[in-house]
Amino acid sequence: MTARERVVAARRTLGAAVVARALLWAIALGASLLAIAAVLDWLVGAPRGVRALVLPAAMLVAAITAARVLWRGRRVRSVPTIALWLEERVPALNYSLVSALESPHASASLEREVAAVHWMPVVRRAVGGALLPPLALVVAVVVLLLALPAGVRERIRAPRAGDTLLRPPVAAAALRNRLSPLVADVVPPPYTGGHAVTIEEPSSIEALTGGRVTLRGRGSASGIAATMAGAPVVVRDSANEWRLEIAMPVKPAALELRDRTFARTVVLAPHADSLPVVTLIAPARDTVMRTPTGAFALAAQASDDYGLDAGWFEYIVSSGEGENFTFRSGIVRRASLGNQRGAHLSGALDLGALALHPGDLVHVRAVARDRNDVTGSGIGVSETRTIRVPRKSEYDSVAVEAAPPPDADKAQLSERMLIMLAEKLQQRRPSMARANVVKESQDIGRDQARLRQHVGEVIFARLGGAPETEDAGAANDGGAKLTPEQMLAAADAATRGAGAGATDFEGDETPVVAVNRPLLEAYNAMWDASRSLDVGEPGAALPAMRTALAAIQRARNAERLYLRGKSPVVILDIAKVRLAGKRDDASSSTLQPRAALDSSAERRARRFDRALDRIAADPRAAIDSLLALRVDALTSAPPLAAALAPAIDALRTGRDATDALVRARRVAAGVTVEQSDSPWGGGW
Amino acid sequence: MSTFTFATAQYESGDWDSAPLVPPNIIDTIARYTEIEVNPTGAVVSLASPDLLRYPLVFLTGHLPVRFTDAERRQLREFLDRGGMLFVDDHNHDIDGVFHKTATEELVRTIGAPVLLPNSHPLFSSFFHFPDGPPTTTQELNGWGDNLVHKNLFAVVREGRIAVLYSSKDYSSEWGYHPENKRFQSVDNTRFAVNIVVYALTA
Repeated sequence: MTARERVVAARRTLGAAVVARALLWAIALGASLLAIAAVLDWLVGAPRGVRALVLPAAMLVAAITAARVLWRGRRVRSVPTIALWLEERVPALNYSLVSALESPHASASLEREVAAVHWMPVVRRAVGGALLPPLALVVAVVVLLLALPAGVRERIRAPRAGDTLLRPPVAAAALRNRLSPLVADVVPPPYTGGHAVTIEEPSSIEALTGGRVTLRGRGSASGIAATMAGAPVVVRDSANEWRLEIAMPVKPAALELRDRTFARTVVLAPHADSLPVVTLIAPARDTVMRTPTGAFALAAQASDDYGLDAGWFEYIVSSGEGENFTFRSGIVRRASLGNQRGAHLSGALDLGALALHPGDLVHVRAVARDRNDVTGSGIGVSETRTIRVPRKSEYDSVAVEAAPPPDADKAQLSERMLIMLAEKLQQRRPSMARANVVKESQDIGRDQARLRQHVGEVIFARLGGAPETEDAGAANDGGAKLTPEQMLAAADAATRGAGAGATDFEGDETPVVAVNRPLLEAYNAMWDASRSLDVGEPGAALPAMRTALAAIQRARNAERLYLRGKSPVVILDIAKVRLAGKRDDASSSTLQPRAALDSSAERRARRFDRALDRIAADPRAAIDSLLALRVDALTSAPPLAAALAPAIDALRTGRDATDALVRARRVAAGVTVEQSDSPWGGGW
Repeated sequence: MSTFTFATAQYESGDWDSAPLVPPNIIDTIARYTEIEVNPTGAVVSLASPDLLRYPLVFLTGHLPVRFTDAERRQLREFLDRGGMLFVDDHNHDIDGVFHKTATEELVRTIGAPVLLPNSHPLFSSFFHFPDGPPTTTQELNGWGDNLVHKNLFAVVREGRIAVLYSSKDYSSEWGYHPENKRFQSVDNTRFAVNIVVYALTA
């Protein structure tokens, strides 16, 4: 074996040692972190979120440690470096090894000199010295971890809800409160398909009625008593825990737990499975059928919070009159809905098969049933529609069918509204087809023409004649419509016809024309606007429309009169208004407002105040009082119950409960604080 | 608690006294629905007078152009700085009308631009609940004035509180009748006035 081959062999050994050292240090430090975290968690109890970070952190530390050790030993790959390392530790080599390696053709004497020296013992000692410290640390940490209770290791290895019971108690068994820690496992009823939930240290458990609630705590069940609504609840031993199982009641209740002098109250806040919501889509409204033949389409929409079981349509046929009526009922198209939360029901009612006669009434409704097998299936029904077959005697009676609401009265469209419509159309114009633009523009144009006719009627009416429309004028003029100029001329003619009183001249205009000029300008501008709108050019129509609006405003401002006489001075008799007056001829008695009733809200507020008074002296009693108040409030005042929950949790866990108590106090006192954080927007 | 007096603002320009029956009608409403100690007669206070500071709420209305004098502007600014509330109502019900244009210009010059008041504002639930915002008026529904049904009021808000409440709804016409005639109405249309007064006194 040449000198180089011997050095390569030493390098292989040292390289393996570097890798092993890296692994051992990685394991040692990673396990050390786990052990430290486990011990700390055992002593002080760490939150689940923190514990969940320990294992990834340990792996990260191990990876970093391994990388660092490998990086520091990276030069072990170099043969000359190994040779120098050997020369340093084996002086007998006397640089012959380095010389033999540097020379491509080493002399036989050099090879013999190197071969005479054995360095493997030195290499083995170095390897042993490098591996021993991390190996010792690994052994120590592993021993420590194995010495820890299994529950402590489990809490670090796989943190999960409810593992608070795995943490061994620090206090002596005789002094220990077995009601804390407390874990609740809530399993919803099977029909909901929901998952079980574990809650640690519950002060309130909210679950669907019928769900299974299991409460667990550390230690034996002996001496632990539980009551719910006055009835005892069985507490059993299970491995190293005590546990009790109850079904979530229909009404809110308080579960009282006692362990010697320790007591604890847990509020059970059930919520009920809601009934299916069914909406009948078809038939959309009640109707009358003179000839009851053919099939009537039925459609409905159903939804449920957990799942629908089945849905169908029901009908009832009532026949007869006077005091003799008969009824028939049936079901149409029952369908299994397969636990869906929403479903569409459809079917058809064959009127011919019902053999209806005049005077018969058919009532139809849709029905859906949920899968609640705990408190009974909830059945939701839609509103009922009726189909009536009229009697012959009713044919000539006034039977008015319900009609949809009419279109908006176009006569109420003002010039301002038309401008807004035209502006919107102009904005949308780039994204619209030309045909649609023309159609909508012409619609606006028709309304513009209607308004123009109205202006024309006003002008004629003010001239003293009977209201005369353009159409009437067209009939008189052989089919030609009045132009603005003709309107002006007609106005002048009417003025001259009226004759008397036209004495106040302004320029060349007669006074009536002058008074009506703004309206005539508006009329003229409306003509221009109509022309542009009719050819689908709302943008071109807008200036004329705005001119018309301005002219209308001028006319209105010019003629707005504020004639007012002297208003009476009104002095109120406040006592009379408040029905608190008195008569002089009767005995004097001052009416006092009645005292407010002792409402349940006030009682709750007083209970809340009394509980607050106890907080300083006896916090546990205060918490129990608040819990009892919350049980009552769950039914009668849900907002107060919701506000109490965070306050109770904060008090129980020793956190600052001030804010939560203030909020609850406001709710209890009926003080509603409006949030004024709605966005402000808009402008003039 | 001192007695509340409903004050009407008197200003140099325009017709400040265009709604003489509104104050007694509002006073009647306050007496009818609340236990607020209210003065049976309202007061007329000049915008330029230091007496303006004696009233927590001042009502201003009119049809004609509004131009504040320097003294009026200065006194009104101080009134608002000290927490007073000004309720302005356009008796024309016309956003193109001269009152609206000039009054808003003066308000912008005096205190700042009013902005749209959301219909969820506490003003609409300070006493009676108006979930849809300010109640409509006959003038709006009949298409008079600007032919618009104004969905919102406007306001200048300072530190979360309304300093100036501006209405284009013409409550001056809507509430301008003798309080004795209130008995002919199935629903009292002046209830919103209670909200304004209660808001001015409590917010």
